[in-house]
Amino acid sequence: MGRKKKKQMKPWCWYCNREFDDEKILIQHQKAKHFKCHICHKKLYTGPGLSIHCMQVHKEKVDKVPNALPGRHNIDIEIYGMEGIPEEDMKAHEKEKAGKDGVQPKKSETEAGPSTYTTPGLLPTPGTMPPGMPPMPTTTASGMAPMPHMMHGHMGPVPPMGPMGPMGPMGHMPPMGHMVPNGPMPPMPMQMMPSTMSRMPTNMPVKPLFPAAGQTKVTLSSAPVGPDFKPTMSMPGMSSASGMVRPTFPAYSTSSASSVSMATSISAKATISAAPTIKKPESSSGMAIKLVHPDEDISLEEMRASLPKYQMMMEGNRAPTSVVSPMPATSMASPQMSMPAGMMSGPPRSMSMPMPMQPGAPMMMMPPRPGMPPMPPMAAVPQSMPMSMAYPYPPGMMRPPMSQPGCRF
Amino acid sequence: MGVEAPNEFKLNNPPTDGVSAVKFSPVSPQFLLVSSWDCSVRLYDTNNNSMRIKYTHSAPVLDCCFYDTVHSYSGGLDKALKTYDFNTSTETIVGHHEQPIRCVEYCPDVNVIVTGSWDSTVKLWDPRAPCSAGSFSQPDKVYTLSLCGDKLVVGTAGRRVLVWDLRNMGYVQQRRESSLKYQTRCIRCFPNKQGYVLSSIEARVAVEYMDPSPEVQKKKYAFKCHRIKEDGVEKIFPVNAVAFHGSFNTFATGGSDGFVNIWDGFNKKRLCQFHRYPTSIASLSFSSDGTLLAIASSYMYEGGEKENVPEDAVYIRKVSDAETKPK
Repeated sequence: MGRKKKKQMKPWCWYCNREFDDEKILIQHQKAKHFKCHICHKKLYTGPGLSIHCMQVHKEKVDKVPNALPGRHNIDIEIYGMEGIPEEDMKAHEKEKAGKDGVQPKKSETEAGPSTYTTPGLLPTPGTMPPGMPPMPTTTASGMAPMPHMMHGHMGPVPPMGPMGPMGPMGHMPPMGHMVPNGPMPPMPMQMMPSTMSRMPTNMPVKPLFPAAGQTKVTLSSAPVGPDFKPTMSMPGMSSASGMVRPTFPAYSTSSASSVSMATSISAKATISAAPTIKKPESSSGMAIKLVHPDEDISLEEMRASLPKYQMMMEGNRAPTSVVSPMPATSMASPQMSMPAGMMSGPPRSMSMPMPMQPGAPMMMMPPRPGMPPMPPMAAVPQSMPMSMAYPYPPGMMRPPMSQPGCRF
Repeated sequence: MGVEAPNEFKLNNPPTDGVSAVKFSPVSPQFLLVSSWDCSVRLYDTNNNSMRIKYTHSAPVLDCCFYDTVHSYSGGLDKALKTYDFNTSTETIVGHHEQPIRCVEYCPDVNVIVTGSWDSTVKLWDPRAPCSAGSFSQPDKVYTLSLCGDKLVVGTAGRRVLVWDLRNMGYVQQRRESSLKYQTRCIRCFPNKQGYVLSSIEARVAVEYMDPSPEVQKKKYAFKCHRIKEDGVEKIFPVNAVAFHGSFNTFATGGSDGFVNIWDGFNKKRLCQFHRYPTSIASLSFSSDGTLLAIASSYMYEGGEKENVPEDAVYIRKVSDAETKPK
């Protein structure tokens, strides 16, 4: 292996394991990220400093260093830059770095040193196990035990990751939920495939970056933006129903106008997108994850309402029971209750009638109840004014002047 | 973990079962309305920490709102919308939905009460009559809704989001799909009416804009929050509550992790995080003057029925500008 000791260890942050080129920057990072008071944003110098500041100034107890890795949030350890890092952690870090260098060359270094044993992994024809393969998982395991997950997570989208050996395929894999070894992955002849995949047990918890796409088996192998997940499930129904093809649904960052389905699609009801059960969220950190929510995709309130104790109440009486407060008279007599007595009408500026509505519009009127005054006659509001949102305030009148232009936005 | 700070207190005489909603009076930080799974709606006086009024439904109450200073509206599993007059202590059933009522809000701009229900409708109610002023079908069960001037944003099951114009309910103004992958938990509109914040059960919050033009839509984004890494497991919690600060356009989120965070949505910054509350944050409300934040800490059965859950509590916390104002 060619280059050894290429660089000496970079300064790194004990709290989050991040490396820096310069200890000064490391210190800046620690002050901003780990020693900043969440209340007044004062940057302190050390964990204990932060703790004391919060206690004295804000009377709040801070018991963890913010933004720290699990196990590294001890606020009582005094660390400043590289000073004060516990010896064993220092050693572990050095070791890890050393190990990582061996096993994890950067993309650009494909041909260099360590590839002596990793390169074979790139070459095999489908199905044949390369001779060099078996040792690799072992190397990986010993060298950098906790790392592989993270690597997957971050590097997934980078297509050809040569020398990562068994991990390489991730780049090309269509992101399907849990990789089915023999499943739909024909388009990857050059990777050592199924057999290798199946011997990577630890891969399973690694989540694909685009789970939704996984479900639909659409191979968008290396779309760079994770969030553009929506697509296909609801697409067919939607596009046929509304008679227009929409490229994708609004995702976190899609920018096209199509991301907002406008009122034009009347029949969006045709789409079905809710799954009966909630799919497992993917992990970005490589850690195991747990969604603290029941499996069914209904709201917590629905779930709770279905509990026997509440069901009984619901079935009990639909008729109003009119249980009146035990203390109305006395409480209301209280002098501080500065409420205008007998205030019947609404707040001042709303003199308006309920709201303009459109007869014949697609909505259901409630059957008139006894005692309910007839609805005020409603004028037809021209449908052709999609931007009728633009009425200036105050409303005042019942029917806002339709001709007024103006846009609040 | 949770340490009580001197800038907050717990309400005396809290509901005896889960808190479903806390709502400050639209005019005074003195009064707070609290609805609960114990079938009650309670009015608290935060000045002297006392309960002033309590009335009940025949089943758990899922939401409530002030109409004016002396009237409340509430609805829940009994499917009935009820209004209560604080002065005369009289209650009136205004009308019914076919399924439990999940959301109750008042829209001052149009002077109408809006209810959303699991029967997949939104109904409007004229508070002066009071009577129903129309029923509008939604694509799925209504989980959350919020008002933004005369705009109504409805979040339903199946991750649908609909924007209605309360002045012309003839058609849906915008139909959207949530940009989050998971069930919609809460939607609240920016007080400046530019957009809304949508939270999901998967510890994520999206900031969305109303204006459908591409350049405005480009600004929308989503972020992760309310996650806790412990023992090698990252726990992802539902974000149950969102509440806006009326004047700064900053917002608080509350999750089932028991944390409350305050965010500056326009600058994409977290302004602060409070200490961890004993259990899930079920509801949040800023007072009209923005000096108080009501925090309902109440187990929400995320993990099913359990023994020994922390008791249901409502905290009133004084918040400073440093905590709520964009930097």
